[in-house]
Amino acid sequence: MKNLNVVGQSVERPDAYDKVTGGKGYPVNVRLPGMLHGKMLRSPYAHARIVSIDASRAEKLPGVKAVLLPRDVPQVKFTPVFFVPVQAPSMVLDFDVMNGETVRYVGQPVAAVAATTPEIAEAALDLIDVEYETLPAVFDPEEAMQDGAPQLHADAPNNVAKNPSFQFGDLEKGFEEADYVFEGVYQTQRVHTCYMEPRVCVVDMDRRDNVTIHVSTQHVFGTREKLAFALGIPESKVKVVKAPYIGGGFGGKLELTAMEPVAALLSKKCGRPVRIEQTRHEDFITTTRNPIKMYLKTGVKKDGTFTARYARSILDCGAHATHGSEVIMVHGAFGIFFNYHAPHQKWEGYTVYTNNMIGGGYRGYGAPQGSFAVESQIDEICAKLNLDPIEMRLKNARKQGEPHPFNPAFTLATYGLEECLRQGADKMNWPAARSAPRQEGTKKRGFGLAVHPVWVSGCMGFPDIYEHSGAIVKINRDGTADLATAAMDIGSGQITTLCQIAAEELGLPAGAVRMSSQVDTDTVPFDAPTHASRVTYSAGNAVKAAAAAAKKRLLEVAATIMEVSPEDLEVCHGRVSVKGVPDKSVTVAAVAQRAESPFVQMTAEGPKPTTMEEKGTIIGVASQAPKSNPSPCAAQFVEVEVDTETGEVKVLHAVYAHDIGRVINPKAAEGQVEGGFQQGLGYALMENIQFDGETGACLTSDFLDYKIPTALEMPRRMDTLFIETDEPTGPFGAKSLGECCVITPAPAIANAIYDAIGVRFTTLPITPERVLAGLGKL
Amino acid sequence: MKQLITLEVNGEVHELAVEKDATLLKVLRDQLGLNGPKRGCDSGGCGCCTVHVDGKAVYSCMCYALSYDGAKVTTAEGLSSGPDLHPLQESFIEAGAVQCGYCTCGMMMSAKQLLDDNPHPDEEEIRRGISGNLCRCTGYAKIVEAVKLASER
Repeated sequence: MKNLNVVGQSVERPDAYDKVTGGKGYPVNVRLPGMLHGKMLRSPYAHARIVSIDASRAEKLPGVKAVLLPRDVPQVKFTPVFFVPVQAPSMVLDFDVMNGETVRYVGQPVAAVAATTPEIAEAALDLIDVEYETLPAVFDPEEAMQDGAPQLHADAPNNVAKNPSFQFGDLEKGFEEADYVFEGVYQTQRVHTCYMEPRVCVVDMDRRDNVTIHVSTQHVFGTREKLAFALGIPESKVKVVKAPYIGGGFGGKLELTAMEPVAALLSKKCGRPVRIEQTRHEDFITTTRNPIKMYLKTGVKKDGTFTARYARSILDCGAHATHGSEVIMVHGAFGIFFNYHAPHQKWEGYTVYTNNMIGGGYRGYGAPQGSFAVESQIDEICAKLNLDPIEMRLKNARKQGEPHPFNPAFTLATYGLEECLRQGADKMNWPAARSAPRQEGTKKRGFGLAVHPVWVSGCMGFPDIYEHSGAIVKINRDGTADLATAAMDIGSGQITTLCQIAAEELGLPAGAVRMSSQVDTDTVPFDAPTHASRVTYSAGNAVKAAAAAAKKRLLEVAATIMEVSPEDLEVCHGRVSVKGVPDKSVTVAAVAQRAESPFVQMTAEGPKPTTMEEKGTIIGVASQAPKSNPSPCAAQFVEVEVDTETGEVKVLHAVYAHDIGRVINPKAAEGQVEGGFQQGLGYALMENIQFDGETGACLTSDFLDYKIPTALEMPRRMDTLFIETDEPTGPFGAKSLGECCVITPAPAIANAIYDAIGVRFTTLPITPERVLAGLGKL
Repeated sequence: MKQLITLEVNGEVHELAVEKDATLLKVLRDQLGLNGPKRGCDSGGCGCCTVHVDGKAVYSCMCYALSYDGAKVTTAEGLSSGPDLHPLQESFIEAGAVQCGYCTCGMMMSAKQLLDDNPHPDEEEIRRGISGNLCRCTGYAKIVEAVKLASER
């Protein structure tokens, strides 16, 4: 691979200084003069008809400035998911901001208040009288699919919101050709992204419908589009201010909720900005990874070659389809169908309405669920047929150079899965560890692995999904550059990596490119959301193109100074020089100063005109879609210790090998993997949003009841390996990382637990209670 | 009905009229405009709001401000006052321990408590010392490394 100067270095994150000195720049800090505080009244019933709402007592409470009822809210239906058009035909368009007739889950907003303090707003909610007529509720998706079950939406018979399927070959034939057929049922649970900054917005909507919104979001343009639609106003009326930083997202801030339009409408009613900050309880019932139940059937030859694969997936989307319309597709495609070769395959998916909370986006977007089933079952097959789990996977895996299973127009130009497995196995000392005699006593060690073979770098080629990115690069007179883009840094380091890409292209040193901290949807080009592992690849390509355009202009101006042709120039380490003659050079700063200087300059001989062609700010702009959608891949190895007395599972050592293309910033990449493993470990062993089976109320809506891994639960040893490949369509060879690392921990841990105690767990999370029950001790 | 209290925050004395049910977190953020202590849960579950009160790390969301009349409070903004950053701030930057950064200020205040009590902790002591603070981005590995780096300075 070509040697680079800035890309590949663990450049210090420029945002870290702000974050360690107090943390300016988060939407939660925004305080505007005259700002009021909004609160939403939420339904206590899982399914009910709203008979009447009387807010007259609330309106009279001193300090209350406005009350919002369903009749004040445009009754329109749309998809609130940011990455698709608001009326995307491929999505289920069933979401509304404040339905005046029916509530379908505990926590659905039915009214809202703006007041001078959050406490007064909260008190006013108690004074709103809502009369409900309760309806029968259903919480289990398979019960919801039965005839006679309560119906949630008139246009969804048997509560099926969406029923996609994929098929290839002749399934029956495939199973006939198999030596063995394996069947299993795998169930995943509801988990929360647990971004640390709550959802918050401050909205100023004037009486002429001009809206300015500060919001913790993963997508400023998606917020603009969906908010404008929900308010019934032109998109250009809405200005979404890009927050320099948000306190995490992980897919949990990837759709409009009631909060933003409610704050806007309250603001318009009282002519003052309105802030709504959700409580942690509200956050827990706003978004979740959709639970999916998977029926998986696989036919194999004696040697482990797949002959047929069939899966049926039932996704509980809760009261509205929203992300569930798309999660089911990504789950079927990238969680199950594309992972491995099989001559005969079929998958059927059901997105099913229940009276549970609405599902959402979460890192991996359907793949963690699928991977748990697929990678668990492969180990079941290996155990039964005495096959090596590495070789079994490689036998069925795709190879570099093959067409991409998703879109034959793309190829798997770089695909390092085998190297990930080989090098990961070496690091874990896999064969020796697996075959070593197991210790006596109550604590049992085990080793497991899982891979995620095919994933995305953005959504290029997906129906209805936005994928273009934009950037503006401006060279300053001091030889630095400013970069402006709508791509959000949600914590994973996009500011750093995008600045590195721009610096590399411009030939500037690391740190010489600064991300502009004050942009909004009025001032920068469209960008798709920070999701789908896309920013390094897609936004990175746009940033590189904008930097290339600025560089072209830089060299043109330098050429007039140096009296050579621009084609003969190159730029490196902040200097423009004649190719092959490094001594003949000028600094980038000198070139920018010349371009920005007055046309007529005063000299000792009097006023003197300079060259007209060199005048003007050196700037580059790009807005483009990427050429491909390359697949990263990963192999994960874990060592666990299972306490057979308490049922507790500890992960002692994790090895994570990834092919993410060229690594832009190794330290940032390691941080992604380590954090991804933490979320995967929580998914595997601890996390589960629980609900009262009778009422549907959330029982685990704070961090005392919903436990996520602390520093104590994490493995003491984590090895992060990057198998670098040079992706031809990526910016400097990069692909993507954000999600692969969160997909494999659950099956790898489940496989290691099986290795330790010989018990196969097919339901997540694998809690101590489940382990003890599995051991026959409960 | 508000009551007057005095708080010394990051070396400056403030006389504040506070509601009886106002938490220290609310007073620090909403009345003094500080951003270091952050609200993550309001129930003592996440640690984002950790500050020092009279030299002890506390969850400021679990403290009624009225109970702290006369107390000395340090937030992340008060970790360093001169031209140099505090060693913990430096080491968090250097180790790559900061991602979204929302937990960072509280995490550093817990780490400071740990290092005040035990200037040279081993890895297990560091992990225990920060186990009252949640981070969802980093997996803690680089935070542990940052605290270790700071302890060596």
